[in-house]
Amino acid sequence: MLALANLRLNAGCSEGFSHTFLSGQITVVLGANNAGKTDMCRFITGLSTPARGEILLDGEDVSSMSPQQRSVSLVYQAFVNYPNLTVLENIESPLRAHSAPAAARLTQASDIAAKLQLTELLHRLPHELSGGQQQRVAIARALAKDARVLLLDEPLVNLDFKLREALENELRELLTASNTIVIYTSSDPRDAFTLGDQLLLLDNGRKLQSGSPVDVYRNPNCLRSMELLADPFVNRFLGDGSECAIRPEHVRVDDKDHSQASITFEMQVTAFETSGDESFIHGQVADHDWIARCQGMKEITVGSKLALHVREQDIVRF
Amino acid sequence: MAQITLEDVSFRYPGATEDTLYGLDLQIENGEAHALLGASGAGKTTMLNLLSGLLSPTSGRLLFDGNDVSDLPGRERNVAQVFQFPVLYDSLTVAENLAFPLRTRGVATDMIDGQVAYICSELSLGKIRDTKPPSLSLFEKQLLAVGKALVRPDVSLVLLDEPLTAVEPKIKWKLRQTLLKVQKDLGVTMIYVTHDQTEALTFAERVSVLSAGGILQTGTPTEIYQSPANEFIGHFVGSPGMNFLPCSAVPSTTGDRIGFRPEWAALVDEGHVDGTVTRVRVYSTQDSKAHGLVTLMTPHGEVFVRGNAEFETGMKASVRIDRCVTFQGGNRVAEIAHV
Repeated sequence: MLALANLRLNAGCSEGFSHTFLSGQITVVLGANNAGKTDMCRFITGLSTPARGEILLDGEDVSSMSPQQRSVSLVYQAFVNYPNLTVLENIESPLRAHSAPAAARLTQASDIAAKLQLTELLHRLPHELSGGQQQRVAIARALAKDARVLLLDEPLVNLDFKLREALENELRELLTASNTIVIYTSSDPRDAFTLGDQLLLLDNGRKLQSGSPVDVYRNPNCLRSMELLADPFVNRFLGDGSECAIRPEHVRVDDKDHSQASITFEMQVTAFETSGDESFIHGQVADHDWIARCQGMKEITVGSKLALHVREQDIVRF
Repeated sequence: MAQITLEDVSFRYPGATEDTLYGLDLQIENGEAHALLGASGAGKTTMLNLLSGLLSPTSGRLLFDGNDVSDLPGRERNVAQVFQFPVLYDSLTVAENLAFPLRTRGVATDMIDGQVAYICSELSLGKIRDTKPPSLSLFEKQLLAVGKALVRPDVSLVLLDEPLTAVEPKIKWKLRQTLLKVQKDLGVTMIYVTHDQTEALTFAERVSVLSAGGILQTGTPTEIYQSPANEFIGHFVGSPGMNFLPCSAVPSTTGDRIGFRPEWAALVDEGHVDGTVTRVRVYSTQDSKAHGLVTLMTPHGEVFVRGNAEFETGMKASVRIDRCVTFQGGNRVAEIAHV
């Protein structure tokens, strides 16, 4: 396992935090831009960063080790490969650095290439590949290093939608098969649910909350935690003097089950969108911007007034 | 603003042996919000370049309001473009950036002031009108880039090339909504190019799906999603895409395969196809119960079902299909709203 202690991600952090990443699990680190995700990755890798703290890898203090000495590999958002080496040579490069025998190198690199569906492309150069293929090569190279810690810093951000979907599925199967400590950073809450065994929420260089994604979703410890996991934001209102919040997916346009205690709000609809499987109704409730996420396609007129129902059990109070 | 017509447009790069785009027939109405949806390599960028005038069709005609512009250079077409990453002048303020395209065309000063004020109010840029781009957020920068495209009163078409790529996922909707609002207010013809089906369906009045250089289907978001013209679109649109099963799985369907969306099915004790749960993903709760995406392995391959996710891997379940589309030879035969 990887233990961080007394970690201050930037100079503005008054106190540090601790977090432990477990082996054989994917931890999604979720935060907005500038939350400190990349600084955390650089700190773990041993690259220059304002972050300060202690780092123990399987019980060993690696704080003073250079990036080369640490058993850590990092995949960036921008696909970084050796441009003058073929796909096979790229994947082999970490093995070469450990002076593995040629035959063993080839077997291992071919196995990894097969898992990432790169077998057909082994003899091409990176610039002859599509973006998604290049990122797969970068991931394959990181896997070939077979490090204890694999850091993926928003690795799928620049990829085509469908490719992203396919890679998400592949990654999950591929990464959970090993005993590696996998850390995956993102600003998209969907990634937490799709990929994460564990979730760590970062905000302004601070740790907000951690746990399994569903537990954090069900029991946010503060409004900001709830917001970070909401897609795209939470609806707020004042109820009985306390700050109340409701997730977009819990706002109902029609609620036929009258046995449930619920509150009704009136929304002035300002915009309506549908993505096929879901519909998004944007509008104003009292003085707040609200959004309702409904399943399926709905027909809603912009400018109309709409009654929205919120069940007591879905309201989160702070 | 203009109505855009493509008549049997094909394009082949010099020296290439195959067409990059072929037989494109499309009419985009004046003031329409249209999306071009396709994976990378589908021909989206080539099509953008044809519309903006960087390239001319190898054959066929391109018409703006009925006038043939196929060979007209870009600057005579009055096409404005917004790119993935905002292109701005860092040394000029927001207001000066907006005025720039008008100044270079020698527009009168009071006219410029009026247009800049109008765009600032439309896009809510008033508060930052004297700020320079380096101090703006990415969201504001992209909003300014949109403003620059819209500021010319004579613009006939606005092309948006993946304009939300650089914006944080959680505020994409906000920029998209602002775009739609100005699109409606100004009655601009907009073509939005993207690989992201959610963006295409949420933005556009009509969507054209582009694949391997051809337009496979043009229709409203509902038509594209619920009634895809072929299996490719069924798979490509939707996340995850349609599930496909042989027609024999569902009684009284004709064709060779049926396709159904993950939310058009439910997991029950006795349904159409039995399987074993291989993966469960919880995305939210409904009535305090886990809700999300369940993957099953069935005799016909993997099937995704969206809804109740109170399942564990290894459990047996049966898929009941409530709605589907039938396909023959890959093409749609019929929509069955109630199975």
